[in-house]
Amino acid sequence: MEEFDILIIGGGAAGISAAKGAKGARVLLADRKAALGGVLLQCTHRGFGKNKSGVEYAVDLTDAFPQEISLALNTTVLSVSEDKTALLSGKDFGLREIRFSQLILATGCREIPMGALPIAGTRPKGVYTAGQMQELMNLHSFMPDGPVVILGSGDLGLIMARQLAEVGLSVTMVEKKPQCGGMAKNQRCLTEYPIRLICDDTIGEIHGYPHLTGCTTAKGVRIPCRTLLIAAGLRPERELIFGLGEPDWLHICGNCNMVHPMVEAVVNEGKQAGIAAYKNIRGSL
Amino acid sequence: LGCFTARNLRRWNISTILLEKEDDVCKGITRANSAIVYAGYDNKPGSMKAEMTVRGNAGMERLCKALDVPFSRCGSLLVTYDKAAAARLERKLQNGIENGVPGLRLMSGAEAEAMEPMLKKGVQAALYAPSTGTVNPWQLGIAAYENAVHNGAEAMLNTLVSDIREAEEGFLVETNKDTFLCKMVFNCAGLCADQVQELLFSPSVRLHLDSAEYLVLDKHARKPECVIFHQAESCGKGITAIPCVEGNLLISGIRKPLETLFATTVKGLQELHLAAKALLPEVDLAQVIRSFGAVRPNPCMENGESLHDFCIENPAPGFYSLIGIKTPGLTCANELGLHLAQKAAAYLNANENPAFDPEHRTIADKDNEIVCQCEQITKAEIVEAIRRGAVTVDGVKRRAGSGMGRCQGSRCTYEIEKLLEEYGHGRV
Repeated sequence: MEEFDILIIGGGAAGISAAKGAKGARVLLADRKAALGGVLLQCTHRGFGKNKSGVEYAVDLTDAFPQEISLALNTTVLSVSEDKTALLSGKDFGLREIRFSQLILATGCREIPMGALPIAGTRPKGVYTAGQMQELMNLHSFMPDGPVVILGSGDLGLIMARQLAEVGLSVTMVEKKPQCGGMAKNQRCLTEYPIRLICDDTIGEIHGYPHLTGCTTAKGVRIPCRTLLIAAGLRPERELIFGLGEPDWLHICGNCNMVHPMVEAVVNEGKQAGIAAYKNIRGSL
Repeated sequence: LGCFTARNLRRWNISTILLEKEDDVCKGITRANSAIVYAGYDNKPGSMKAEMTVRGNAGMERLCKALDVPFSRCGSLLVTYDKAAAARLERKLQNGIENGVPGLRLMSGAEAEAMEPMLKKGVQAALYAPSTGTVNPWQLGIAAYENAVHNGAEAMLNTLVSDIREAEEGFLVETNKDTFLCKMVFNCAGLCADQVQELLFSPSVRLHLDSAEYLVLDKHARKPECVIFHQAESCGKGITAIPCVEGNLLISGIRKPLETLFATTVKGLQELHLAAKALLPEVDLAQVIRSFGAVRPNPCMENGESLHDFCIENPAPGFYSLIGIKTPGLTCANELGLHLAQKAAAYLNANENPAFDPEHRTIADKDNEIVCQCEQITKAEIVEAIRRGAVTVDGVKRRAGSGMGRCQGSRCTYEIEKLLEEYGHGRV
């Protein structure tokens, strides 16, 4: 069985930074996609670091990437065991079981899908999560039909609202809280574009089959739409370590630890995790 | 039911064509179903339902083994918090014993609570049925379909029956595609079965449609070991909690008259959330990954009364209609199919088909390219699902199991659409 000092799961901002922090150790970094960068790769908007786009930020981040680190791209980690082994499934190499002494979980977070919300009605086409639409539009040149309703006015909801308004689609946002949820800089799109924001309300029911035709808010506002984006929050992706407890060889960093609004915090946490893992093995080497 | 009827007809040398109006099989009642293989204590002794349920239940291991579909005999508890309702359990026990249900036993509240610690305290009595099980309904139906086709049945999808006429030697079935001359017609049109029969004969029962809401919970959510039925204070059933064979917890709501086909209602979801918390206080509803609305046919006689047994109409020789096969239709699907096939064999004086092969193989070959992260479904499985007839992301989901997990397809749908395009089907 192949052995590594450190296995890093996830090649986004946190995982890349962890690899840098652990420089000098035998590290394997696994990511399910074909390139490093994680969610940054679908972020074409500016606002990362010194007003770079997410893609540019990812390029900078991987620029000084340590050569000696082994990469396993197009690879899904199927399971992690308490005996410090992991089973990897890779498009290019097949199944691969490895042994590690430190594990850095940098798997990011996933979006809450519509199914998880108490939204009644039919189950039509035309419903996406906000990040799913961001990936479709920015990586696969997809263009949704308008009008669009976005549930949730957090940062991701606002970023998508801006992008959709920019291409001329009519956008309505529905926010459960009494006021908009995102950072001030992301809220600017509300004044720059004719985006309608309904606060203190949520989507109670959706209509149409086989395709979405509209939704009705809990307070009874009927909004015709062809596309609904769910931007109702993110959940840390931690299912891989379910049941493992908190062993000293496990380091959790980035958005799978907690959701960070700024990428710099993710980078910093990743780096600290890499350093901590490195210290642990250097002590035992 | 259509799939199981076709499968069983091929046990004899009976040329069979299956007509389906949708682009895939098992898209109606089967798709949104409680997945329970019932024990058979609910049904009136001597009824067709009682007999077939007990037989269908007993044969489920063998059927699922032949069709290569997972089955879990997890048992069930029917619990009540109402002293007055305890007498109903006693009656059901007697019913069950008379029907031949194995292992039935009345339990004290304390015993039931010890068996299922998730139950709200205060159970008055419970009826334990060890033979209750769960199976994935569309997996079972699609396996029967594929097995029917493997055994020589033809199938035409996107084919809507528009008229049926009597012919010299049988019936002429007109569809949007073609007209078929056949000696026998088996009407297994589910929610439309009364309308299909009406094309030629007046049905003696009419289908009223009921609906129920369902919640699906993440595989990591805590769940009971066995199916839990709540015997509500009034008559009728309360909610049901089902530990599915795939590992998810399914919670089904109370039946009520239908508002919109396959849709949930705001009120229904709210009530279901409250009822679920009331029955299983520790259930974590933050782990819900999907809710859906199911539709059930409720066969009613002319006087408006519900029919409690299966209704198989035979208005003319060679014409059979399964009208309103409601619960436990899944448990009895193969039994009903066999029953009809036996009628056909006798009517047509058909010989047994020596080449009939009851065995079916479900998609199993994985490669190393994971497409669906949540359920760890590989590209090879998706491609095989497409090869077997899936034409939509939903069709792939029901064959390969992709998109069933906690992200509900938000990460793999695009890739599956691309594979559907690549392997010959456009975006639908």
